[in-house]
Amino acid sequence: MAEAIDPPLSPAQRSKIRRLSQPREIDPADAGGELNVIPFLDIITNVLMFVLATLPAVFTVTIESNPPSIGGARTRPPDKPTLNLSMLIVNDGISLKASGGNIAPGCEGPGPGITIPAKGRDPAGRAQHDWAQLRTCAKKLKDAAPEFKEETQVQILAEPGTDYQTVIWAMDAVRQSDDGSEVLFPDVNFGVAK
Amino acid sequence: MSTSAPPTPKASVVKFKAALRKAVRRNAREPEIDFLNITAMMDMMTIILVFLLKSMTTSNAAPSQGQDLTLPKSVMVGQPKEDGVVVTISKTQILVGNDANTTIRLPGREALAQSGVEAIYKRGGPNDLYITRLGEALRHFRETDLKIRRQKGLDDKSEAVIIADATTPYRLLLEVLYTLGQSEFGKFHMLVLSGSGGPT
Repeated sequence: MAEAIDPPLSPAQRSKIRRLSQPREIDPADAGGELNVIPFLDIITNVLMFVLATLPAVFTVTIESNPPSIGGARTRPPDKPTLNLSMLIVNDGISLKASGGNIAPGCEGPGPGITIPAKGRDPAGRAQHDWAQLRTCAKKLKDAAPEFKEETQVQILAEPGTDYQTVIWAMDAVRQSDDGSEVLFPDVNFGVAK
Repeated sequence: MSTSAPPTPKASVVKFKAALRKAVRRNAREPEIDFLNITAMMDMMTIILVFLLKSMTTSNAAPSQGQDLTLPKSVMVGQPKEDGVVVTISKTQILVGNDANTTIRLPGREALAQSGVEAIYKRGGPNDLYITRLGEALRHFRETDLKIRRQKGLDDKSEAVIIADATTPYRLLLEVLYTLGQSEFGKFHMLVLSGSGGPT
């Protein structure tokens, strides 16, 4: 028996083939089959921008120091003249002491008394120290001899109740000259009174 | 009389499928991406921002301030150094690192200005400068730090960052620094607010 001849594709079949063979467009929402987290990320981004904008801008710096020494004992006498500046912060002012002894009021040479008397007191009863005068005196002492130019250390002692802020301001005052051109005594050691 | 056209002969299913496969192959093309997918970028941005926030909150360079802790101001400018164990001295307590077990409660300011922390925390009575409890807490940090420093080939001097309240009495500050020195910490970084108003 003769085989039946397969008829050609009908117009309806050709139309169906045309329709089915067209490549399908990819929906952006279905791309890669991922979860659409963009709305969530939009919210996160907005929240983070708000948090960053409301953070207080605080700039800090560290001041270097060494462990405190008791009494400031020396191992051997120095082989050249040294200043050995010490600063005692008390409620009446700031007393400076060098190798030659206590610096007299007005920073005019050795002598007893408070070198830089306090300008007055604030409403809380705390001393208002004359930092400008302290800086001037520190520079004067450093310029007193060529050998002192290399010295950068100062020892700080204070009354037990002295505020940390006052100690920091005292360190600032003797760190450098008024115009910042000359380094005075940036290396601070804390002393313990005997 | 009926005039209906004779039905159009259809090709077999085999022939139809072969033609369909051939048409699909002919029309096949790479999918064209005509939209911007920013999801990956946003993922990355979110991770970076979270990391940034995390590092900002844990950084010693900007400790959170409040009534209990206000940093002193200084005219100095520069970058803060954050190497070493952090010792925080607030108005009410001393803290080493973030370990709450090391907390030392502080008395009122008048008592602090007289003899520092309470005598029960001291080695030899109220006039001693060494704070035993602080020293014990520091020992653990010192041992760990010493191993790290030796591995790195650094010197044996451990470092400490001092974050102290502006009203801290000198006596208390000295006790903390002295205890650090006795615990073989050889260098201190005292954190202050930079360039924010100097002495008047």
